[in-house]
Amino acid sequence: MERDDEERRPLGASWRLTHRPAAADGGGSAAGVSGDSVVWPTVDGPLGLSEERSLEYARNFFRWGFCLLPFLWAVNCFYFWPVLRNRSSSASFQRIRPYIVGSAAGFAVFTILLSSWALTFAIGGEKIFGPAWKDMVMYNVAEKLGLTGWI
Amino acid sequence: MERSVLDSLGLEIVGVMSPVSICMLFVVLLVSGFTPPTTSADHSSSAQVTAATLVYQESPSDPPSQKLAGAILNAAVFVALVAVVTFVLVVLYYYNYTGFLKAYMRFSAFFVLASMGGSILFSLLRRLSLPIDAPSAILLLLNFSAIGVLSVFSPAVPIVLRQSYMVALAIIVAAWFTKLPEWTTWTLLLALAAYDLVAVLCPRGPLRILVDLASSRDEDLPALVYEARPTVANPPSSSSPFPAASVELQPQTLHSNPNPDHTPDPDANPSPSRSSSISNHADHSVLEIDSIAEETHPLVPTEASRSLPESSRSNRTSSEDLEEMFDTTRGIRLGLGDFVFYSVLVGRAAMYDLMTVYACYLAIISGLGCTLILLSVYRHALPALPISITMGVIFYFLTRLLMEPFVVGTSTSLLMF
Repeated sequence: MERDDEERRPLGASWRLTHRPAAADGGGSAAGVSGDSVVWPTVDGPLGLSEERSLEYARNFFRWGFCLLPFLWAVNCFYFWPVLRNRSSSASFQRIRPYIVGSAAGFAVFTILLSSWALTFAIGGEKIFGPAWKDMVMYNVAEKLGLTGWI
Repeated sequence: MERSVLDSLGLEIVGVMSPVSICMLFVVLLVSGFTPPTTSADHSSSAQVTAATLVYQESPSDPPSQKLAGAILNAAVFVALVAVVTFVLVVLYYYNYTGFLKAYMRFSAFFVLASMGGSILFSLLRRLSLPIDAPSAILLLLNFSAIGVLSVFSPAVPIVLRQSYMVALAIIVAAWFTKLPEWTTWTLLLALAAYDLVAVLCPRGPLRILVDLASSRDEDLPALVYEARPTVANPPSSSSPFPAASVELQPQTLHSNPNPDHTPDPDANPSPSRSSSISNHADHSVLEIDSIAEETHPLVPTEASRSLPESSRSNRTSSEDLEEMFDTTRGIRLGLGDFVFYSVLVGRAAMYDLMTVYACYLAIISGLGCTLILLSVYRHALPALPISITMGVIFYFLTRLLMEPFVVGTSTSLLMF
C-alpha cells in the first residue's frame, strides 16, 4: 500500500507486455493455449498483476483489512477470484491462497456481524434501545452535526 | 492507417458512452428525486459562496440583465481559477513533482468521497429515514472512501472497481455542481467548453502541454481520467485537479506508428524502447511473458495483424494482435471533468422537466460521438466538452422554448401523443 507511487510506473509499462494470449474476461481467466493452460491470478487476466506481485498485494490487503477496513478483504476476494476458485494450480497460487481465503473469511464474519447488528438496530428500534436510539441513528446525528448539507 | 477509422469505433464508443450515461442517470435521479420541490427558492436562501459564485450571488428577483452580467462574471472568475490551478499543476508536473501531485490527488479523491459523498449519503439517509446507526454508517463511509483512494492510485484493484470509482467521483462532484444557481450554471458550462477548446487545442494551452509532457515521458496523465478498457480490457487511470479536470478525450497514441524495433522480435529480447519504459524489477517478468508468447505462437507480421478484421482482433489470436491493439488504441480516456460537466448539464435540465433531460442527453451523446469520430481521424488529444456542451445547451433552450409549448399544447388538447 505504501508503495503505490513506485508501483504505478511498472504497471504503466507492463500493459504493453501483456501480449500473451489469454481470456481476459469471463472471470476464469484461464486460457487454453495449445494444450497447456495459462491461468492468471486476477480477474483482469493479462492486464492484472503478475503472480509474484500478486502475492505482496494480497498479503498487504489482507493485513490492512484488520484496520477496520473490511472492504479491502472484499476487494481482495474479488480481484483474486481465480485463486479462490482454482484449488490446484501452481505453487504461487498456493502461496497467495491463504490470504485470499483469510480475506473471504474475514469479510464473511464482518458482514454477518455488521448486518446482524444493523438489523437489530433498525428493527428493534426504540423498543430495545430506548431513548438512546434517537441519539444513535445516523440521520439525527448528521443533522445535529450539520452534515446534511447537500439537500 | 490501413483500416477504416470506423472499424474499432463501435466498441470504443460503447466503452465511453456507457459510463457517461450511467453517470448522467445517477445525477438525474439524485437531482429529480431528492431535491425539494421548491428548488429555486431553496437555492437562493441557502446562499453559499462557492468557487463558482465568488462575484455574484444570484437571487430570483434580480432582473435578467443583472443575472446575465453577474453570471458571466462568475463564469469568468471560475474559469480563471481553473486555468490558474491547471497551470500550477502543469508547472509541478513539468518539474517532476509527481509525488506532490499524487498526494494532492489522493487528498482530493478522499475529500470528495468522504466529505462531499458523505454529505450526500447522510442527506439521502435523512430523506429516506433509513435507520442506520452512526458508528456503522461512519465505518462504511470510511471503508468506501479508503477503497476509493486506493482504487484511484493502486494498480492492484480490479479495473471494474477503478472505473466505478471514477464514475462515483464524477457523480458526487456533479451533484454538488447542480447546486449552483441557474444562470451561473449555463454561462459556466459555456465558458468551460470554450476554455477546454483553448486549453487542449492551442499550442500553448496548459492541457496540451500536459498531454505532450505525459506522452513524451511515456507516463500516465497526472489527472483523474476515466480509461475505457482497451477494446477488451483496460489499465488504470490516475488522478487530477478535480475542478480543473476538464481534461481531454485522448487516444493512446504513444507508439501508434509501428516503428520496426517495436514489433515483437522472435528472440524475446525486449527492444530498447520497450525496456526503457519498464522499471527494473518488472524486467524479468517481461522477458518471461515474451518468451511464453513466442513459444506458443507463430509470429505474424505486424502489417498482417493490423489488417486483420475486427473479429479476430477481439479474439486476440496472436500476440502481435494484442500488442498492436495496445499500441494504437489502448482504450479511450475521458477526463473526469467531462463526466462532471455533462452530468451537470443534464442535472440542471432535470430541474426543469424530463423532456429537456432527454433532449440534452441525446445532444450530449451525439456530441460525444462526433468527438470520438474526430478523435479517430485526428489521433491526438481533443477537447470533449465543446461540441457536446454547445449542442446540449442549444437543445435545452430549443426544447424549453419551442418544443415544450408545442408538445404540451398538442397533447393537452388531445391532438397528438
